[in-house]
Amino acid sequence: MSETSVISVRNLTQRYGKGRIIYENLSFEVPKGRILGLLGKNGTGKTTTINILMGFLKPQGGECRIFGEDITAMSPETRSRIALLLEGHVQYSFMTISQIERFYSQFYPRWNKDAYYGLMKKLKVTPDQKISSMSNGQRSQVALGLILAQNADLLVLDDFSLGLDPGYRRLFIEYLRDFVKKEGKTVFMTSHIIQDLERLVDDCIVMDYGRILTQMPVAELMSTLKRYTYTGGPLPSGDEFFSPWHSDEGNEFYSFRPENEVKAMLEKQQIYVTDLKAEAPASLEDAFIGLTGRY
Amino acid sequence: MTKAIFYKELIKTRRVFWVSLLIAILFGVYAIMCIRRVGTSHGVEHIWLIMLMKDQTFIDAIKYLPPAIGIALGVAQMSPETHLKRLKLTLHLPYPQNRLIITMLSAGLLQLLVIFAVQALMIGIYYYGTVTCEMTRHVMLSTLPWYLAGFNAYLLTSAICLEGTWRRRVILGLLTVGVLTVYYMQAMPQAYNSIIPGAVVFTVLLMLLSIYSVYRFKEGRID
Repeated sequence: MSETSVISVRNLTQRYGKGRIIYENLSFEVPKGRILGLLGKNGTGKTTTINILMGFLKPQGGECRIFGEDITAMSPETRSRIALLLEGHVQYSFMTISQIERFYSQFYPRWNKDAYYGLMKKLKVTPDQKISSMSNGQRSQVALGLILAQNADLLVLDDFSLGLDPGYRRLFIEYLRDFVKKEGKTVFMTSHIIQDLERLVDDCIVMDYGRILTQMPVAELMSTLKRYTYTGGPLPSGDEFFSPWHSDEGNEFYSFRPENEVKAMLEKQQIYVTDLKAEAPASLEDAFIGLTGRY
Repeated sequence: MTKAIFYKELIKTRRVFWVSLLIAILFGVYAIMCIRRVGTSHGVEHIWLIMLMKDQTFIDAIKYLPPAIGIALGVAQMSPETHLKRLKLTLHLPYPQNRLIITMLSAGLLQLLVIFAVQALMIGIYYYGTVTCEMTRHVMLSTLPWYLAGFNAYLLTSAICLEGTWRRRVILGLLTVGVLTVYYMQAMPQAYNSIIPGAVVFTVLLMLLSIYSVYRFKEGRID
């Protein structure tokens, strides 16, 4: 584990019961002060990874460390440095706005009450309003407010955009981004809406079924990954060609290799093209689809 | 932090607590009224006679109330934890995990203790003013297994609610039926006197079931 890594995952292996492998020998690190987004299709194991990291699921193989501590025996002190947002913004909905603040404030020494109530003011809710009586969007802001107030060193957010309309998603992202950047926090997050992550994350890990396709800064991904198109001829195969796809307009695939290398590799496969075109993906979502395929 | 955990548990259970306390008081009042009625119509001596000759305590009305209250409190306290897997929030709190579960259970047990103590005191005080001290002791000792059944029902229900798999929930459900049946097998007053200390130890040990259910939750053993 590098000294600047907050999360370190080594050779993580997990299966559904004794059956299908979710992933095998998964390794990655989350550097300090960075916002890392875990991207993957449904069922690739994003939530499973978060469950393992938070100690809610025992991994079948491998080792995970957070702040250098083995997650299977995480101390309360280390837990207090981690803010967790569960999928669907699950919170103690039987509590009111003020009760939940009073409850959590007893556990965290750096608790910032003003950060929580600052956000609650925007929602126009009263302190004695029960969380269960709120909309999904309002509940997401309560969960966010609690995370901000906790003032943790690491934020782990599982699919924060689930069930939120665009307005609340934007509010969530902007509030979170300002806080994280100002305070230099480390964030590990997932979302099924890739556009949201594009506005927020520094680095991304793209997962496919059973493996990591790539881990790199988003800017690097957007500048190195290219969408190649050409007409005629068969589709290429091999690890360097992502999502080969044939349509009425021609063939396309994605690759990290530059145009001249791609051309040479195609020729090696007896694919001779005269109209090969390379273009950068228009968005992170395009890059994601380019790497993982349409289905 | 311990106070905060108690605070959370009380928020979940306060409604059931107050309703249970009210019902326990009403049942207590009913039991007292039954004794009074016998006393008024046949004289206090008749109560003595029936108690001594026929091993009656006149408080059978409250017999099954403690386990019913225990089950209601267990469900009210633990089902919000497992609904939407909210237990993850609780387990993420910076507090030693086993101590956390024990503190949660202690909050429930304390509420039950208050409810049962209020009811037992009502009945005890009335008996004390009606019959001899020895006979009051005899009646109160007869109620002990019922109250212990209440604590057992609460702890077993908590373990069922915290358990993540249906198979084990069914097993724990059958265990609950079995354990509660034991407390009601003997109708004779004070029949359980000799096993009361053992039953108290058994009740404390039942806390381990909830701890094990949570341990299994953390292992990912959930349906």
